Amino acid sequence: MNKEEIYERLNNVFRDVFDDESIVVTEATNSSDIEDWDSLEHINLIVAVEQEFGMKFNMNEVTTMKNVGDMVNIIISRINN
Amino acid sequence: MNLVSLTFLIFCVITIFIYFVIPKKYQWIILLISSLIFLFYNNLNIGTIIQALIVLLSTYISGILIDKNLQTKKAKHVLITGILIIVGLLIYLKYTNLFLESLNQIFNLFHIDYKFNLVYRNSLIGISYYSLIMISYLIDIYRGAYKVQKNIFKLALFMSYFPILSSGPFIRYNDIEKNLYGNHKFNYERICNGLLRICWGLFKILVISIRIGYFVDTVYSNLTTFYGFFTIIAALLFTLQLYTNFSGSIDVIMGISEIIGIELPENFNIPFFSKTITEFWRNWHITLGAWLKDYIFYPLLKSNMMQSLNTKCKKLFGKKVGKKIPLYLSMLIMWIIIGMWHGGSYNFIVGSGLLQFIFIFFEDILEPIVVKINKKLGFNMNVFSYRLYQMIRTYLLFSFSMIFFRAESVSKAVRIIRSMIIINNPKILLKSFFNAGLDAPDFLVLLVAIGILFIVEILSIKGSVRKQLSKQNIIFRWTIIYILIFSIIIFGCYGAGYDAATFIYQQF
Repeated sequence: MNKEEIYERLNNVFRDVFDDESIVVTEATNSSDIEDWDSLEHINLIVAVEQEFGMKFNMNEVTTMKNVGDMVNIIISRINN
Repeated sequence: MNLVSLTFLIFCVITIFIYFVIPKKYQWIILLISSLIFLFYNNLNIGTIIQALIVLLSTYISGILIDKNLQTKKAKHVLITGILIIVGLLIYLKYTNLFLESLNQIFNLFHIDYKFNLVYRNSLIGISYYSLIMISYLIDIYRGAYKVQKNIFKLALFMSYFPILSSGPFIRYNDIEKNLYGNHKFNYERICNGLLRICWGLFKILVISIRIGYFVDTVYSNLTTFYGFFTIIAALLFTLQLYTNFSGSIDVIMGISEIIGIELPENFNIPFFSKTITEFWRNWHITLGAWLKDYIFYPLLKSNMMQSLNTKCKKLFGKKVGKKIPLYLSMLIMWIIIGMWHGGSYNFIVGSGLLQFIFIFFEDILEPIVVKINKKLGFNMNVFSYRLYQMIRTYLLFSFSMIFFRAESVSKAVRIIRSMIIINNPKILLKSFFNAGLDAPDFLVLLVAIGILFIVEILSIKGSVRKQLSKQNIIFRWTIIYILIFSIIIFGCYGAGYDAATFIYQQF
């Protein structure tokens, strides 16, 4: 899976979780860019991403990822393993 | 040792002096010695030494064992054991009475003629802070966030770093490690900045907080004389008293740590400009919120139990409503823990726990409805007047919850609230307003000081006021420092009546 594919699939996950079809995520997208992405929705998003890619984030990653770019890097490292 | 006392001042001066004159590689040892003096000051006995050793040794040994067995079942077992020991000790020392009281009430309910006597346990200063700090260290090691600290003395310094023992903030090992054990040069700029912050903190505490305390204490302890409108004003003022006391202590702490050269995380971000209680808690006691989010709320929400509840609820109630149920449940658990952290009695659990949860819960479910109504009525929600209304509402809601926090018991809080609602006596204020602990000149000083606080808070929306000030010329800067120092000396509240034992957040 290449990066573009990952972003494409992430877009769908984000749109579904935040109920907003206009969302397009990039490397730099973070919680301040998406209105509903607060600490309450963060775990819902994480779990939805985990289900989409069939992988698990560990708690350290959950609490330290700063933006979508970080998230994608973790996804890539998991898929490669 | 109180943050605002001559002893503490001398203690800090000596510590900082030695810290900068000895060879830099020994600096952390000086900090450790000072921290141990602070920790055991007035409270040195076998019991307290054992308390501290239990937390230190269990964290040290568990940390090393977890690190050795990373990603195995054993690591998990060691982590759980380590946490249980620290939490168990914390509960034993701070919450025994809460359980005994609850049992007494249950016995009473079932007419069982038995009563447990409440017990007094002598716990070390900062136990609520260092216990949680050590737990987060263990969990981070387990999560593989950083390397374990193999030097037990260095770990002891992390546990007992003296500035944070009295009122926080919560520190994280990876944020502070490099600075805590590193070498620090004497730096004029940093010392000026630190001093300015200490002065500002002392101004908040001595000129505002303790002065308000006079009024609030008088009202709360003489409810038969001061009732009705007095209790309303006392409740509104107590919020300010708490804020200036707590954030002032944090300013003093941050200032001292800045002089030493160790940066601490901010604990407040102009909370009273928040539009909702949800936002308020993002700006109030920030490091406690962050701690709970990372170590309780997220793990709980992501746990298999909550996730399967999530799936079930989504099937039953639809996606939108369904996903909220595990969220609210996790929030409720978290807020009860926050309430308990604040103190081992029900008034804290209600005031700083359950009520906050109720506010946030209603804010969340009512928000779409409020937006709809405002749209229909044609109210613009994006104007200053609406935001002002929201800020005042936040202040009022928080002040309401703090009645429970301030009153010694839930029943007393209920009595006060009843007196607020039932008795309509604004005239009494005209007659005896200045009899309630503060006379007219004192009130005038208070009003001016609150005005200054307000202006500084508005200025800090744009960023650090100290940074803005450091861009000004040196004469202006030192004039401000001198004005602050003199106003603290002249208008600060000292003396027997102003017993400095009013550090609201020190009791936790």
